Amino acid sequence: MTHAPVPGRTTAAPIPVATGASPGWRGVRLAMVTLLVISAVGPPALLAMLSASQSWFYPALLPTGWTADAWSAVVRRGPLARAVGTSVVLGLTTGVVGCVLAAPIGRALARLHGAARHVAVAAAVLPAAAPPIAVATGLQLTFVRAQLAGTPVGVVLAHLVPAVGVLSFFFFAVFTAYDTRLDDEARSLGASPRQVWLRVTLPTLRPQLGAGVGLGFLVSWGQVPLTLVIGGGRVHTLPLEVMGYVQAGETRFAAAAALLLILLPIVLLLVASARLVRGSAPASAPAPASAPAPASAPASAPTRVSA
Amino acid sequence: MTAPGGVPDRPLPAPAANGALDVRGLAVSFGSHAGLAQIDLSVAAGERFAIVGASGAGKTSLLRAIAGLVPCTAGRVVIGGRDVSALPPERRDAVYLHQVPTLFPHLTVFENVAFPMRVRGLGRAEIERRVPEMLAAVRLAGFGARSPQTLSGGQRHRVALARAMAARPSVLLLDEPLSSLDPGLREEVREAILDVQHVDRPAVVLVTHDLDDAGLLADRVAVLLDRRLTAGTPPSALFGHPPTLAVARFLGFANELPGHVLADGTFEWPLGRLRPAPALPCGPAIGLCRADAVRPAAGGVPLRITGLRYHAQRTTAVGELLVRRDGQGTSADPPAWPTSVELQVLPGAVPAIGDILPVTVDARDVSVFPLR
Repeated sequence: MTHAPVPGRTTAAPIPVATGASPGWRGVRLAMVTLLVISAVGPPALLAMLSASQSWFYPALLPTGWTADAWSAVVRRGPLARAVGTSVVLGLTTGVVGCVLAAPIGRALARLHGAARHVAVAAAVLPAAAPPIAVATGLQLTFVRAQLAGTPVGVVLAHLVPAVGVLSFFFFAVFTAYDTRLDDEARSLGASPRQVWLRVTLPTLRPQLGAGVGLGFLVSWGQVPLTLVIGGGRVHTLPLEVMGYVQAGETRFAAAAALLLILLPIVLLLVASARLVRGSAPASAPAPASAPAPASAPASAPTRVSA
Repeated sequence: MTAPGGVPDRPLPAPAANGALDVRGLAVSFGSHAGLAQIDLSVAAGERFAIVGASGAGKTSLLRAIAGLVPCTAGRVVIGGRDVSALPPERRDAVYLHQVPTLFPHLTVFENVAFPMRVRGLGRAEIERRVPEMLAAVRLAGFGARSPQTLSGGQRHRVALARAMAARPSVLLLDEPLSSLDPGLREEVREAILDVQHVDRPAVVLVTHDLDDAGLLADRVAVLLDRRLTAGTPPSALFGHPPTLAVARFLGFANELPGHVLADGTFEWPLGRLRPAPALPCGPAIGLCRADAVRPAAGGVPLRITGLRYHAQRTTAVGELLVRRDGQGTSADPPAWPTSVELQVLPGAVPAIGDILPVTVDARDVSVFPLR
């Protein structure tokens, strides 16, 4: 619908509307996005092709022959599949045990004030900041004496050293942001400190705990020096398999193993970030503070009561 | 209890026989700042006691100390005849509610209200019976399955109150329960507080900086000023005749005019002469009265209107009294003392700026404090 100009009134000039960035800036932006996509998708795509290539010689852009023997080995539960299983079990164990140890540490750190807080945080994070090979060298003698060297338990304990350092810092941040009024109110309502921890604090922080397990998993997942030194070659994890295949010139198998090494953390990070975002946002937008209360009860019936 | 540093406390008086809450000689430290000292208060079962004070006066710290959420450096807290000073919060039989209701976000409304019963190990049947009762008491019947995030501000307040009452406390401690609410919701939550108190009739202690809330909700009101708590008095007595000049100034009396107590005991001030009771010593003094105590009246002291103030529920006019020190009215001489006066005006009788109104004040509405 158009409006005819009103006689006797001047027609206002159209107000200029910003139509976005200049063409030059749009080009820069497009180039940056393209680079980002290539850097994210390129390496996994290259590894995927390499893992399935029978032959691939310069100057061919794509492999000239294809084979699935590396992936068959994974599916057939060969050494590669066993290494994946070992890494997953070590990673999950490190993540879960690391959270159990680091959550109380982070909580205690968050309750400190002043200089003591800085010193304690630095001390807690130090194992993660130290080079893993130095940590491994330091641990090895003790682990040999304790007959833990060369065992999966020994490797998990070694992985826990940097994992607990990283996770302590993570939970320090989590508990610094945590609303302690929830705990106060629960105490005032009659809950003991243990009940507050189990019924309020931990359930409220469930998304952050999930992310913590993922973080501990990642610390273990890519760990080479600690696994190599403490495992003594008897605990085969995926990173060690990649190293072994590279040293043996088994490019296809190295590529397949490396692709697995990349893909699982990506999936884990996506899941963890989705959980964190969902956990930090309310389930649905709260009604405005001035919204009147419904006059009658909503249709939903109360409520299954758990024992 | 012995204060840190090994200094023994002063002997504490015995708690009142029927007191649900009795606090004697309580002191709370604020770190490097001077904290609360020598706080005494006693609240009976079913009574509502308000503590008013400026922001930062320590009202919240006092409530949290009674609840056991911050340590006391001295004194004694007795709840239901039992000294709970050394007990942790969960064993004090006092529930503390934050200014902003903190419902547990991972639990439904039903489970939030059931929380105090579950941590006490109550049976499933009793929980299923009592939670709907508590929700009905705050007019939220049928809201059990809702998530706290889906509730309005007033509904969250009411759930928090129902949850607090589900613990069946002897003492309910409310920290600024209405301060974060808009006017419509304040009335809603005010009613909810009265509703839930009828369930088990706990002693209610609420802190607020809003004098209207204190007056509307409380049976007695005390003022926290300069680290000390005044004795609790009914709102009418406190707001009508504050016990000290400091309390009167905190309560914000609109009119504070200097005067003099003469040898015959009469108090002379710009609004005339009156005889204060009890009698005051001869010398300079301050008279205070509220805006609604000053009334237009024929034969009163002339007041030239210099401005109008529009409040939400009332209008006041401010002006200068046309008087000299000897009390004789004049329009020519400059005033010999501060003569600014505020009075409440009726909607149909709002004066214009520049008008001269004769005004008077009833001696019973004036509080006089000696300056020495």
